[in-house]
Amino acid sequence: MPERAKSLVWLIVPAVAIAFIVANLWSGDTGPEDPEARAYGLATSLKCPICAGESLAGSQTDLAKDLRARIDEEIAAGKSDGEIIDLFVAAYGEQVLLDPPSTGWGVVLWAVPLGVLAAGVAAIFGLKRKERARTEVDA
Amino acid sequence: MIAVAGYTSILVALVSAAALAVQGWRVSHTPDPDPARLKIPTIGLAVGGIGAFTLLEIGILTHDFTIAYVAKNTALATPFIFLLAAGWAALAGSVVLWGLMLAVFTWLVWRTVRRGDGLGVLALGVMGAVAVFWFGLMATAANPFEVCTSVAGSFCAETSWSPLAAAVAPADGVGPNPLLANHILMAVHPPLLYVGYVGFTVPFAFAIAALTRSELGSVWLYRTHRWSLVAWIFLTAGILLGGWWSYEVLGWGGYWAWDPVENAALLPWVTATAFIHSAVVQQRRSMLQAWNFTLVIITFALTIFGTFLTRSGVIASVHAFSLSAVGPTLLAFLAVVVFGSFGLFAVRASAVASSPRMDSLVSREGFILLNNLLMTLFGFTILFGTLYPLLVEAFTGREVAVGRPFFDRISVPLAFLLLLALGFGATAPWRVATGRVLWERTRVGLNVGLVTAALALAAGVRSISLLGIIGLAGFVIGNIVAFFVHQSGRAHRGGKPWIAALGSTIRSDKGYWGGQIAHLGMALAAVAIGTTSVLAVRTEVPLAVGESVVVEGYCIQYLEPFSRTEPERNVQGARVAILDRTCSTTRAVLEPRLHEYPKFGQVITTPRVWTTWVDDVYLSIAAIDAEGMRLKVLVFPLQWLLWFAGSVIVAGGLLALGRKPGRRSSASKRGDRIEHADA
Repeated sequence: MPERAKSLVWLIVPAVAIAFIVANLWSGDTGPEDPEARAYGLATSLKCPICAGESLAGSQTDLAKDLRARIDEEIAAGKSDGEIIDLFVAAYGEQVLLDPPSTGWGVVLWAVPLGVLAAGVAAIFGLKRKERARTEVDA
Repeated sequence: MIAVAGYTSILVALVSAAALAVQGWRVSHTPDPDPARLKIPTIGLAVGGIGAFTLLEIGILTHDFTIAYVAKNTALATPFIFLLAAGWAALAGSVVLWGLMLAVFTWLVWRTVRRGDGLGVLALGVMGAVAVFWFGLMATAANPFEVCTSVAGSFCAETSWSPLAAAVAPADGVGPNPLLANHILMAVHPPLLYVGYVGFTVPFAFAIAALTRSELGSVWLYRTHRWSLVAWIFLTAGILLGGWWSYEVLGWGGYWAWDPVENAALLPWVTATAFIHSAVVQQRRSMLQAWNFTLVIITFALTIFGTFLTRSGVIASVHAFSLSAVGPTLLAFLAVVVFGSFGLFAVRASAVASSPRMDSLVSREGFILLNNLLMTLFGFTILFGTLYPLLVEAFTGREVAVGRPFFDRISVPLAFLLLLALGFGATAPWRVATGRVLWERTRVGLNVGLVTAALALAAGVRSISLLGIIGLAGFVIGNIVAFFVHQSGRAHRGGKPWIAALGSTIRSDKGYWGGQIAHLGMALAAVAIGTTSVLAVRTEVPLAVGESVVVEGYCIQYLEPFSRTEPERNVQGARVAILDRTCSTTRAVLEPRLHEYPKFGQVITTPRVWTTWVDDVYLSIAAIDAEGMRLKVLVFPLQWLLWFAGSVIVAGGLLALGRKPGRRSSASKRGDRIEHADA
């Protein structure tokens, strides 16, 4: 293949692929979410109240089975995810949430890793800058 | 008798370990350190370690119920393979396995140490000190040879630590924890994980010896490179088989639950992965010396931490199978390791201060640094998320839980960034990558990535995150394969046929290409994790005998129930046929079941899986009675790809082990010379 045609391929193939992806994602509606997928999502984000660190989705206890059935009922009754989670918090307290709310102490859970990220980025750029300073001295 | 011999073995190993620690220290300070002077303690440690393990297994296989551990964890009816596995399935036994591996590793390291090698001699001393802890634990808090002194029913009511005490035996033992005796993988997964854990003792010991002796160059790193890689390979395989076990046994249809103990196993893997990358940067560019000491100490500490978390019961978890006084002992040892190592490191810090020769952030080392940043952040966040409930409870008394939603939200963006860094970094040149070179080496991958994402979209994938993962995996794979073909092209033009050219490319640098194969495996694993979590279908259907239902194009038909009695358990199951979507041709018959263990009052759901090239169909009984059953039918697209990808990662690691040992030695001398010149 001549060079010119080759470089055209490098432009056309990604352009077509990007256009196709954008066009599809733009127009495509994902449709209403399947209730069973929603129920599973809720069950993985709620702790089984009587188990050792298992979610409702993972536990084989009778209580977890009942609570999973409860989630199905609430979804069938048209409740939103937020409403169902509120029901569980009202019944079992906040410790039922496997995803602690980002308020109060919950801020710490996110702030500390972000702090570590910032420190790491600073350290890497520090490595680079120290080098620059040194070469300037050398020069 | 066995108890007496076993306990004696532990004492032999303990005394030998202490002698090794003291002698290692003393001999390393002589002008001409001679490892021959460590021969007796090293062999004593190996003999004691092998002896303790062998005697425990003999006790188990001969049903010597005077030994409390045997009476508690095995029974006459326990099948052979689970008898064997009982040797490490419970706390005291797992410490024995740990001790065995450490003793054997110490002996293997001893064989590599030559006369005049003070670093190696002191490293053996450090391994001796670590062994003192483990065998000390066996001699005291986790004694596997405690004897039964009084019996109540089939239980040991009282035990004595002294193997000489008058022992009595219950008529039969209790038997293994049902969860641990339900699948063959349980016999394999823990030993693999333990080889991985114990393996990191070697680089740790060399790092501590290097810090102590102020031999701060890269020698310790070259000498332990292969050990770290072996440990990493075993850890990878162990985690993978753990996931597979969870998938095959736990019945909820997943392989990873972000359970604290799973996190504890993943943590050292994450830091070890960062370490094997940053070690390459130090070997090639003499950078990151302080950072490598830090990573190796953290990795070793995390292996202890993982054991602590599994065995102390501080954090409630399905895997925390045992509660005991071992917890505080492990915690104390962890504190000694962390404070001792970092204390020593702090004393030497000014001398370690690495000379950073970072020419450009856009270079192989720049991308590896990014990998290290992301891996460290990942590890830290997992650790923090796992300990967060403890912290909050300690400060406020409130109970909170952190689980899958949090860890998923952290790991998905990090996985994206890691794949991106990998796609650029794998083929980027060292020092400086100019825009032109970077473009030449990544344009194929960019195209492959975009096209695969477009194809996945055309095939009906609508999840943006899954499309992103598929596109990035295509990017990584495309780049690596294109670079491989490009490099081999030179040899091919030189007259070699393609096959020979590809082979000679790999042979020319097994370390690099082994790494790239592992990278291909990581990209494939990312795709499999994506498809099995985003595209999974989960339903629960009521079925009467003879009835059928169609799920995702699979016709599921309930043929008949069955029940039978097996050793230790009652089996209640259902024969279920999987047919094509028109319900006319049978493609497979599965027997999902419930295993009831009457002695433990426990029922375990045992799923059955049918694997095709497209999907796994996963059947698990939710409830069953005379009228019918409720069957969970789960469909996981491309589940097999995850296990395959894991094998590719392990294969890549094994290939990298074959790296010619001398190949980098000239670089090593060069690196050290530069470093001395700087100092």
